[in-house]
Amino acid sequence: MKRILVWDLPVRLGHWLMVGGFALAWATGDSEKWRLVHVFAGSTVMAVAAYRLLWGIVGSRTARFAEFVRGPGQAFAYLKSLLLARPPHYAGHNPAAGLAIVLLLGLALASGASGWLTYQEIGGEWLEEVHEFLTGLMLAVVGVHVLGVVVGSLAHRENLVWAMVTGRKLGRPEEAIAGQRFVAALMLLAWTAAAAWWLAR
Amino acid sequence: MKKPVLLLLIAATQAFAAAPRELAQAYAAEASRQAPGFKASPQRGAEFYAKRFAVSDKMPACTACHTDSPARPGQHAVTGKAIKPLAPRAEAARFSDPAKVEKWFRRNCTEVLGRECSAAEKADFIAFVSEGL
Repeated sequence: MKRILVWDLPVRLGHWLMVGGFALAWATGDSEKWRLVHVFAGSTVMAVAAYRLLWGIVGSRTARFAEFVRGPGQAFAYLKSLLLARPPHYAGHNPAAGLAIVLLLGLALASGASGWLTYQEIGGEWLEEVHEFLTGLMLAVVGVHVLGVVVGSLAHRENLVWAMVTGRKLGRPEEAIAGQRFVAALMLLAWTAAAAWWLAR
Repeated sequence: MKKPVLLLLIAATQAFAAAPRELAQAYAAEASRQAPGFKASPQRGAEFYAKRFAVSDKMPACTACHTDSPARPGQHAVTGKAIKPLAPRAEAARFSDPAKVEKWFRRNCTEVLGRECSAAEKADFIAFVSEGL
């Protein structure tokens, strides 16, 4: 196995934009002084998640949902296999990561929508409760995801966090994706900036 | 046919009207455990409402967002969004939901005063905002 490119630029950029946006939104959630920053950060998360849905259909092979979304059964089977001496290795997203991605994208959109409607005073006080609940749930899934990444990294002796920075992982050469997709990454940045600005205005 | 509806409406408005008083009484009871003989004062509430704590530059005082009068609609100092009046006589639902009141005291006191408000301050605040001077 060689180090091959598996995550294109839109996937990596989108991942870290969501990390930054979620952290910032979490830190500023209870503050009126930082209310605009909170709304902008949350809108960034929502905009990236929306773009990722499209990228899951038209993106690089490893980014496509059809390539990595499996049922919860396979996700748990994979998690159990991590305890074995030689767990099955995936060049792209493993089934547990696939489940985390689906949950996180869904929660990002639902939490973002409920927060935005609250900010626009379209929903009532109850919607703010829904927003807080969904965001708490999302933090819990983030926690499990990070734990899975740590355990997976140890089991495969491969730094998966760094792989999400460089896009490179161990795999067979034919499993590599064609390229970084620079134009799509620029479109992600432009879309996210425009959507977040529009949502937070 | 009309009478029960009317009675229900009166009961509903009274429930709204009674809520701030009950809430203020609950805060006053808590305050009197720390300072026996405590009695909520609209006068102290008014001074608190107008006081410049100057902890936050955007929100130095309650009045930064809620204007000089709690009966008037306010405007968020950061987002510019409209804020309904704080006074129950202008906005009936105010101080009718204890959980909501606690949440906003916690949020706003932390940022405007730089600390949580005491039960005595909350009792005075509600006395001023709901009864006026």
